[in-house]
Amino acid sequence: MARLKEWLLWFWTVATRPSTHFSLAFLALGGFVCGLLFWGAFNTALELTNTEKFCTGCHEMHDNVYQELQHTIHFSNRSGVRATCPDCHVPHAWTDKIARKMQASKEVWGKIFGTISTRDKFLDHRLELAKHEWARMEANDSLECRNCHSAIAMDLAKQTNRAAAIHTKYLLSKQRTCIDCHKGIAHELPDMTGVEPGWQEPPEERGRESSIKALRRYAVTIPAVE
Amino acid sequence: MTLSRRNLLKAQAAAVAMAALRPGRPAQAQAVAGGIGTLQIKWSKAPCRFCGTGCGVMVGVKDGKVVATHGDTLAEVNRGLNCIKGYFLSKIMYGADRLTTPLLRKKNGVYAKDGDLTPVGWDEAFDTMAERAKAVLKAKGPTAIGMFGSGQWTVLEGYAATKLMRAGLRSNNLDPNARHCMASAAFAFMRTFGMDEPMGCYDDFEAADAFVLWGSNMAEMHPILWTRLADRRLSHPHVKVAVLSTFTNRSSDLADIPIVFKPGTDLAILNFIANHIITTGRVNQDFVRNHATFVKGATDIGYGLRTDHPLEQAATGAANPGATQPIDFDAYAAFVKDYTLDKTSKLSGVERGFLQELAELYADPDRKVMSLWTMGFNQHVRGVWANQLVYNLHLLTGKISEPGNSPFSLTGQPSACGTAREVGTFAHRLPADMIVANPEHRKKAEEIWRIPSGIIPPKPGYHAVEQDRMLHDGKLNFYWIQVNNNLQAAPNNSHETYPGYRNPDNFIVVSDAYPTVTAMAADCVLPAAMWVEKEGVYGNAERRTHAWRQLVNAPGEARSDLWQLMEFSKRFTTDEVWPVEVLDQNPNYRGKSIYEIVFRNGQVDKFPVGEIATDYENQESKYFGFYVQKGLFEEYASFGRGHGHDLGAYDTYHQVRGLRWPVVDGKETRWRYREGYDPFVKAGKGVDFYGNPDGKARIIAVPYEPPAEAPDKEFDIWLVTGRVLEHWHSGSMTMRVPELYKAFPSALCFMHAEDARARGINQGAEVRVVSRRGEIRTRVETRGRNRPPRGVIFVPWFDASELINKVTLDATDPISKQTDFKKCAVKVVPV
Amino acid sequence: MRGQSRSGLIGVQAAVAGAIAGGALVLACGAIYAQTAPQIVPRLTGRASPMADDPAPPLGRQITDDRRVMRNYPEQPPVIPHSIDNYQLTLRTNRCLDCHRRQYTEASGAPMISVTHFMDRDGQVLGDVTPRRYFCTECHVTQTDARPLVPNSFQDMALSPPSPKQ
Repeated sequence: MARLKEWLLWFWTVATRPSTHFSLAFLALGGFVCGLLFWGAFNTALELTNTEKFCTGCHEMHDNVYQELQHTIHFSNRSGVRATCPDCHVPHAWTDKIARKMQASKEVWGKIFGTISTRDKFLDHRLELAKHEWARMEANDSLECRNCHSAIAMDLAKQTNRAAAIHTKYLLSKQRTCIDCHKGIAHELPDMTGVEPGWQEPPEERGRESSIKALRRYAVTIPAVE
Repeated sequence: MTLSRRNLLKAQAAAVAMAALRPGRPAQAQAVAGGIGTLQIKWSKAPCRFCGTGCGVMVGVKDGKVVATHGDTLAEVNRGLNCIKGYFLSKIMYGADRLTTPLLRKKNGVYAKDGDLTPVGWDEAFDTMAERAKAVLKAKGPTAIGMFGSGQWTVLEGYAATKLMRAGLRSNNLDPNARHCMASAAFAFMRTFGMDEPMGCYDDFEAADAFVLWGSNMAEMHPILWTRLADRRLSHPHVKVAVLSTFTNRSSDLADIPIVFKPGTDLAILNFIANHIITTGRVNQDFVRNHATFVKGATDIGYGLRTDHPLEQAATGAANPGATQPIDFDAYAAFVKDYTLDKTSKLSGVERGFLQELAELYADPDRKVMSLWTMGFNQHVRGVWANQLVYNLHLLTGKISEPGNSPFSLTGQPSACGTAREVGTFAHRLPADMIVANPEHRKKAEEIWRIPSGIIPPKPGYHAVEQDRMLHDGKLNFYWIQVNNNLQAAPNNSHETYPGYRNPDNFIVVSDAYPTVTAMAADCVLPAAMWVEKEGVYGNAERRTHAWRQLVNAPGEARSDLWQLMEFSKRFTTDEVWPVEVLDQNPNYRGKSIYEIVFRNGQVDKFPVGEIATDYENQESKYFGFYVQKGLFEEYASFGRGHGHDLGAYDTYHQVRGLRWPVVDGKETRWRYREGYDPFVKAGKGVDFYGNPDGKARIIAVPYEPPAEAPDKEFDIWLVTGRVLEHWHSGSMTMRVPELYKAFPSALCFMHAEDARARGINQGAEVRVVSRRGEIRTRVETRGRNRPPRGVIFVPWFDASELINKVTLDATDPISKQTDFKKCAVKVVPV
Repeated sequence: MRGQSRSGLIGVQAAVAGAIAGGALVLACGAIYAQTAPQIVPRLTGRASPMADDPAPPLGRQITDDRRVMRNYPEQPPVIPHSIDNYQLTLRTNRCLDCHRRQYTEASGAPMISVTHFMDRDGQVLGDVTPRRYFCTECHVTQTDARPLVPNSFQDMALSPPSPKQ
């Protein structure tokens, strides 16, 4: 006990008056190195929480949304390019990422108190959870989609006629953002009553010549095929 | 056309109008070239060729070919709807490789087991068959000949076959392929109600408040019934749908309560629900007291494997698997008490919340519940138990035999009910639920059939799986397969079925429309007429008997199975196949051909050819000289009339879109056993299960017992087999329809993506599915319509080049002898 | 046919005639062949030794070219000419109707579902799709590029002379 007190006292004197014990160079360099180590550790920890393995470590995620993901194009596709949980759900930009990480404390709360700890509870909450994500993506113009999918880089000649037509009409004209039409791209949809598909025109736009023309640019003339 | 003033003015007005529309061009009407007659199609009604739903279709014939079909709007079952298979009925008869001549294996001009299939005439085919059959009968007797029939036989064909085999050739070795599909259901009906077939009908779909699908993927397998269920669910938000399966499928997509359970644990879940009903005090005491009694079933009953199999030798109850002893309600309640929520949840892997919600659907007295099941329950080593356990739930709560409250055993094949079960083409059965083992029943049959007593053999014959074993062992030597593809359908076929067919001691005859795997393994192949190439009758899952006329002719020399059976019977005489003692006692039967005995007995040949509808063909009747179908039908109907199996008059069935039996005074019965609906329930009784002598149904106490072969360290994954929407059964018809083939060209292995990745297998990669018995090569699908959980794969069996039944296990329900195609252990390895 | 020129039609006719001639030859050969022995198509009839190893063909590739395929007769449900991968058709959502429902067809450019799909069980027309037709995939399927294993001699009543449908 006495030794501990002694040691604490020594620590205090050094800490409150470091420059009397250590040189400036040592302190500056040491601080720099420690800062570096701290920053590295912080980021590593942050990145660890940014992996599919971490996200699906909770059974709520693993048994529900992760199972649903496995049937979709973001899990298995022609080119083998994968999108994992953070690619879509965690912004890449640092400030937005940190903001999202702070929001994640709500998820920790949910985990502790079992908000969606059974399939039944998850199904009941699905609409609410989906709405959060839709709102986030609508607000940031589908930023996470654009991490990988660049609208300007889309080769319209390689898409199907339908897709090319609709992308031209809505995406390239910036009338819509990705999530407006591609809800449910990675997980199963909740009750969609009242949620209109993204390509639906608001009443004042319907029947307008310009919008129909845009669609026709890629629409298929339909020769009868034997 | 006389040029009256009126007509001239009309023509002029028309010309002026046309000229106004198209200035400068002479007015011309676009007449139908050749007159309106060229557009007209002859439409006739028929039941669909495919599943047990039994939709009505209208078949359009032009120039002797079927050119179109559509759902019959007047058919109560489907009211104008069809599924994708039904919409392509007009193509199923026109595959280019249709069999048109009989074929016989020959080497150097004579029959040889290792010869090539050579076209022959009917006479040579039948003569060879008769010669072989007689040789076998002489050497080993009638227990060495057998027939494997079908739930896709018409009622008349099944009836002709059962007469030919039992009354003619004196063998009970007649079993239908319905043994693979409905045997468990049939046995459970008999054990619970004393009579076969559902007590409800499809009208229950429009009345129920809850639907529970027990291992049945109705969205793909009974699509039109699914539309009725979806209609009800989506139109009325209070309705709830629970779907239980060992993997997520299209039916789960409509579920309010989607449940995925561990294979085999359905038994536990059923007992849990019964426990829940009892412990929460929702037993309908009145109903139970007045209409049910309790029994306990024998346990540890084995797995129907060969007797030398270690599992069979270890099974203490295998000797008498169907034994029951009476108990009372308290003993039953104590029995199911074991199945608590926790225990059941742990065993089945199902969340507690879901189990409770499911149980409430049954327990809530104000909720009408319809239970639906097919192969998940029937193709199960405890299939009879599973069927009976679900009846328990409906009996405990009194939710039975009234609109909306309906334990409904769905049928797979179009006439497994009408032909296989009602006609009694099972190895132990006679028509109208009678059995060969009962001397009273045999006596009745012999009377109706006008044959001497002592002809019908008393010992039940070999059932499906046993037939394959007996073929393999050389104990069954003459075998005739009609309307099925058993080499593809039978379990463990590389060890039992295939060696059985190729056993040099055996002579295998296959009647089919197309060269199937089974036909190519046979020694004699007979070309068969299909569907509307013959007049026929089917009976669907809701007891609806439905008749159709011959609409087109069969190609080449193809003839209906009925014609084949009748013609074949001409080659036998009573002196050759009946016992001498019987002939001594009944000398007037001496020297008669079996054809005479079975088909020209004054009843079957009672109706003249003149009674056939004049604008329709009837190849069999014109050939034999009497109205064959009507005669067979009326004789058959005499078994059931007055006993609760009543069928209407044959001619009526051609006028209406089927009638649900019992048909009494021309009126069909929608709900059986309930006063007011069922004419056999006397006034004042309310409910009467008159199939049992005491008028009461049986509630049975049986436990959960594990499946025969669960995954272990080496074979670490469950294999479930089944069908897909686009293909029917073994694909012999649907794989020849281009659109259906292109929709789903080959079988594949539905697998969980994590399971695939753990084994280093890509989506779409080729793999081997290997069991202790055999293996196939197939491709993996991790993003398909069927989404198995980890540890389960699903492979459909329609693909003749991916015979999944090389892999399956020939374990059966020991009571029903129906194979469990849904559970065995395999491993999946990259090729 | 809309959008087709007369010369185009002649071209089509010539192609069809050529196909028919070729098809007739195949049929004739097939017919002769059928008289001598059963036609063996291993994927339908099984291999010569059915219990032997059989490699599995690659999974069919979906045809997604958006071209409407002629129906074999008027009542046939048309096949789906586009991909429906992951199109969710559940209690909660119907992706098919998101394009094919009447009110969305202008925006999506998709053909409206047939009027028969608005009729309930009693034949009365409802305001929107009848629930009994909710599950599109019961009747409508996509097609892969798999070539049919055997020709089918179904006779299209409006095409004369009959052509074997490939």
